[in-house]
Amino acid sequence: MTETVATSAGSDWLRIIIGLVVVLIFAPLNALLLVWLERKVAGHIQLRLGPMEVGPHGLLQTIVDGIKLLGKELITPSRADRILFPLAPVLVFMPVLLAFLVLPFGPQLVIREMNVGLLLIFAFSTFTVLAILTGGWASNNKYALLGAIRSVAQNVAYEIPLLLAAMAVVFMVRSFNLSEIVMAQHRVWFIFLQPVAGLIFFICATAETNRAPFDIPEAESELVAGFHTEYSGMRFGLFFLAEYTNMFIVCAVAATLFFGGWHGPFGFGLRIPGVVWFLLKTYVLLFVLMWFRWTFPRVRFDQLMNFSWKVMIPLSLVNLVVTAAVLKLL
Amino acid sequence: MGYWKEIVEGGWSLVEGMRVTVRRLVKPVVTVQYPRKRLEMSPAYRGHIEFVRFPDTGTHRCIACGTCQRTCPTGVIKVQGIKEHARGGKVATHYVIDFTRCSLCGLCVESCPTQTLKFSREYELEGDSRWDGVIDLMERLEDGR
Repeated sequence: MTETVATSAGSDWLRIIIGLVVVLIFAPLNALLLVWLERKVAGHIQLRLGPMEVGPHGLLQTIVDGIKLLGKELITPSRADRILFPLAPVLVFMPVLLAFLVLPFGPQLVIREMNVGLLLIFAFSTFTVLAILTGGWASNNKYALLGAIRSVAQNVAYEIPLLLAAMAVVFMVRSFNLSEIVMAQHRVWFIFLQPVAGLIFFICATAETNRAPFDIPEAESELVAGFHTEYSGMRFGLFFLAEYTNMFIVCAVAATLFFGGWHGPFGFGLRIPGVVWFLLKTYVLLFVLMWFRWTFPRVRFDQLMNFSWKVMIPLSLVNLVVTAAVLKLL
Repeated sequence: MGYWKEIVEGGWSLVEGMRVTVRRLVKPVVTVQYPRKRLEMSPAYRGHIEFVRFPDTGTHRCIACGTCQRTCPTGVIKVQGIKEHARGGKVATHYVIDFTRCSLCGLCVESCPTQTLKFSREYELEGDSRWDGVIDLMERLEDGR
């Protein structure tokens, strides 16, 4: 339905307003579903059931948790920064919403076509780091600050191979436009042409979203909860919401860049709407992220840095050079 | 060379780890939804001790000999009995254990000359004071638990 509404809405403004409303509804729902799914996947990997009490198979558990979070008092530590402390949760959430602007959910289902769509996503994703640093610094708490500093170092380290891996795809399509990147994959997905870039992209995306095994900024067993130690109630909820929406975005970008976006596998499934394929691929990738989390132990900070600077960056550079050379020769 | 070897071997170990967890994901879960579903207790399970009710007499055969009380390494058993007839043996009238200090070694069960002691299948004990751990076996037998 949204597809028809969006395409029939000729004016750009109307399209953006409808898109934003849909995104504002979709983002929390997606987060609710993912939190529930995360707990179920964790439960089943550990041979237990996960939440089962509230609603069928614990489906209402996250909603109840959300209501509980809403009811909690918003505590501000006595010597915290009065302006930056409440600002950080808002800062962390805004860029995540903006990334939805250029994601191609279907052939016509893009809120705003942009020639620099991919750049926009990467540009705004760095805002999250700023928000985490703001939150950690403004909390006036050593653990929060340590978590925030770790987050910045980690994001700087992993942003480079992430961009280099995405560049390999951009080299092949010669465009930053996400819809064009998807259209270039109507025969073969880029994961088959660029497997190394795909792998590097996904590993770096895991690190960028601060997910295990790269959940160094949170590291609840070492840093209490890291950058959001001092946040309570819905302020903490916003960090949580942003994390899960961010996960959706990186998986959606991975699906767009490497898994053919809205295309069905190998040209099959043409009768199924593109948005279904797109969401299916995104959620499969999200499941893989969860699978990572419940498989691998957290890496140490020096291992994390070594892995990025000594393995990911050289590998992605080599991959980029080889891609450029092959494209030049062909 | 070590650099590439480490990448390949490290990568393979990650794949191996993921294989383990995905297998667990599709295996049936083992957790029981406890208050609604209960497992049959294993015959080897040791709860606190209790009296055996013998079908011929409908009661225990404790003769208050005090063997269990003497063998108990932590001294948690208190048994008292009376002689009802001048020629008859003693019969237990009081049998109390302090389960909070019991180590479930089973020496009492082993040493009982009339085999009147056994381990119960009790696993749902709770209490808000340490006196809730003091269990009267006579009372238990009378209540028919």
